[in-house]
Amino acid sequence: MSDKMVILTIDGKEVSVPEGSGLLDAAKGAGADIPTLCYLEGLVPSASCGLCVVEIEGGKSLSRACVTKAIPGMKVRTTSPRVMAARRTALELLLANHPSDCLSCTRNGSCELQTMAERMGIRERRFPRTKKPMGMDVSTEGIVRDNDKCILCGRCVSVCAEVQGVSAIQFAGRGIRTRVAAFMDRGLASSSCVQCGQCSVVCPTGAITEKDETRAVWRALQSPAKTVLVQTAPAIRASLGEALGMAPGSLVTGKMVAALRKLGFNRVFDTQFTADLTIMEEGSELISRLTKGGTLPMITSCSPGWVNFIEGFYPTLLPHLSSCKSPQQMFGALAKSFYAERATIDPGSLSVVSIMPCTAKKRETQRPEMRSAWEWWKGKGHQGSSYYDVDFALTTRELARMIREAGIDLASLPEEEFDDPLGRSTGAATIFGATGGVMEAALRTVYEIVEGKTLAELEFKPLRGLHGIKEATVVLGGKEIRVAAAHSLSNARVLLDEIAAGSSPYTFIEIMSCPGGCVGGGGQPYLPTDAKRKLRTGAIYTEDRRIPIRKSHENPAITAIYKEFLGEPLGHLSHELLHTEYKERTF
Amino acid sequence: MSSTAIMKNRVPSLDEIIEARKGKAGALLGILEDAQGLEEHRYLSEDTLRRIALGTGTPLSTVYSVATFYSFFNLAPQGKHSIVVCRGTACHTRGSLELLETALARLGIDGFREDECNSITSLDAFASVRTVACFGQCALAPVVEVDGTLHSRVTVGKLASLISKLGKGGDK
Repeated sequence: MSDKMVILTIDGKEVSVPEGSGLLDAAKGAGADIPTLCYLEGLVPSASCGLCVVEIEGGKSLSRACVTKAIPGMKVRTTSPRVMAARRTALELLLANHPSDCLSCTRNGSCELQTMAERMGIRERRFPRTKKPMGMDVSTEGIVRDNDKCILCGRCVSVCAEVQGVSAIQFAGRGIRTRVAAFMDRGLASSSCVQCGQCSVVCPTGAITEKDETRAVWRALQSPAKTVLVQTAPAIRASLGEALGMAPGSLVTGKMVAALRKLGFNRVFDTQFTADLTIMEEGSELISRLTKGGTLPMITSCSPGWVNFIEGFYPTLLPHLSSCKSPQQMFGALAKSFYAERATIDPGSLSVVSIMPCTAKKRETQRPEMRSAWEWWKGKGHQGSSYYDVDFALTTRELARMIREAGIDLASLPEEEFDDPLGRSTGAATIFGATGGVMEAALRTVYEIVEGKTLAELEFKPLRGLHGIKEATVVLGGKEIRVAAAHSLSNARVLLDEIAAGSSPYTFIEIMSCPGGCVGGGGQPYLPTDAKRKLRTGAIYTEDRRIPIRKSHENPAITAIYKEFLGEPLGHLSHELLHTEYKERTF
Repeated sequence: MSSTAIMKNRVPSLDEIIEARKGKAGALLGILEDAQGLEEHRYLSEDTLRRIALGTGTPLSTVYSVATFYSFFNLAPQGKHSIVVCRGTACHTRGSLELLETALARLGIDGFREDECNSITSLDAFASVRTVACFGQCALAPVVEVDGTLHSRVTVGKLASLISKLGKGGDK
């Protein structure tokens, strides 16, 4: 946007906005909140919902504010009788085909359509339903689609194509038969969908949601036969408060721990412990690839949406992927092997629940190979039916719903500490939650191991922030290497195409599926904007500075687990429990 | 269409159609049209859609989106004969619903729901019945297209006779 200002009149008030501003933004300067159900910051407006109509003096018909730019001298009315009538009719038509099951909908209380109906004072359903029911898509582990609740706003289609470059879904059919569909109207499971959940974050209604597993987790918590462990991803402490009505960017680590104890979790552990472990394993893998010769650039493997993406779209590049499991899966494998043995708990009676900013994590828990602890016990002669390393992955939103259901007032809880030993972590682990963070955490450790001296500046500023692809240069072993970090999968494509073409200048690449990294994940509070992503990221970096130890290799619990159990990074047990393999996914 | 195919005076293959058009603006529509023309039963099979997606670098969902948007494209094999009933406003007010019902009854087709799809083929693949939103021939309403020929001011009797001339349904 240019520095030049445009002066126009909105509802009789003169406002000055930067040239190129749209009327939705311009109206805010005049104190007018023009309603919309389809517009989304950063995407090409689809102008589909029809709610943002305004009257422009001299114009024959009403204009949609989302696609109309401010022009000097323009006179806009946002509340004229004509506007109000058209807006109301547009909303009533959207409501005509929308089910009335608000009371039992996942989005009850967080639905934009419901809120809009309330705002517009809708008191009757004037138009009858014209579409026939379409049924639900429950084919994937992470995402549920209910086309009957879809208002065809197109946000999911745009996000999937423009932000993620996945295009698993598109509009299909026309007229009354128009619907959002995957190829051949099949379930998402057979499509290119990577289950990142960005569609679920922007859906204005209950048409796309995470697969809700809160009932199953309640059952586990209430079962006397189960010992339930919980692990929390780094990004949750920067978003759970927001999901429960606190200001975006609220850092609630200690309160979150307290709330989880109140919910009945027997041990409250931290995925950050295994984030530190990931750094040890992945850092060692990088050093090994550098010194012994291995596929470079090496790419991080923490983000399951990203793993689904490369398995589906760039299978020939899989050797570039680090063999490290994600921190979630490392945690599950250790919880049911190392911890179960130390605490003398039958691993079969353990239930591991993770709180993740992510919907793809649900699928990750159910990858058939993610039963390492069971295999480990089998190797020790134990028998019994198989179990996954992680039983349930809940999103931030699901945890928030459980906390509300239990009547826990998060904001007023006194802060509590994670349990030992799987709750000990460092600042390096916290920054896994933001784009560039895994790379920064890895460099803090790899540099000190290779160079044998203390890093002068811990914070790699060029790797921080919301720029799509960031890069930095580090001197390792007398050699300069280039590293890069990308977030959202359309940016990942740029780096992958370079690798495929043999022109990638990088040695090490971090990729996170979602805009902003995990702070902007598909399981996070609805409708993130860059402003909110920045606030959540700010909380992550505040936490990094707050934790006394900021390098993974200095975590005493990590040193201890290598000494007492794992042996050494990339050792035999590490391979058994902490590393994995990938395979091509066809669709 | 590639020039080599024209020179050899033969029908180009799907790969040649894709190769000749891909990368050009609006290529997808033309490729789909030609691909449907290649198929004996005038439809786009899943395999064809997949080859077009792969060949043009278009996401599968996008190819499916275009193929389902235009009523011209068929995703199921079509019958030997084609009967297209206009269901636009003018034709509707002049009785096109009755014409649609007549065509379906004469061909022994059950279970067609206009709000669910726009075409159906008889089980013996003798004929397909399709609805379109408008032929642009409102002054001649109601209009029905039989095997590519547009008939105007069609009555139930006229349609029955047209169908019986196709070799089937006249004795019913």
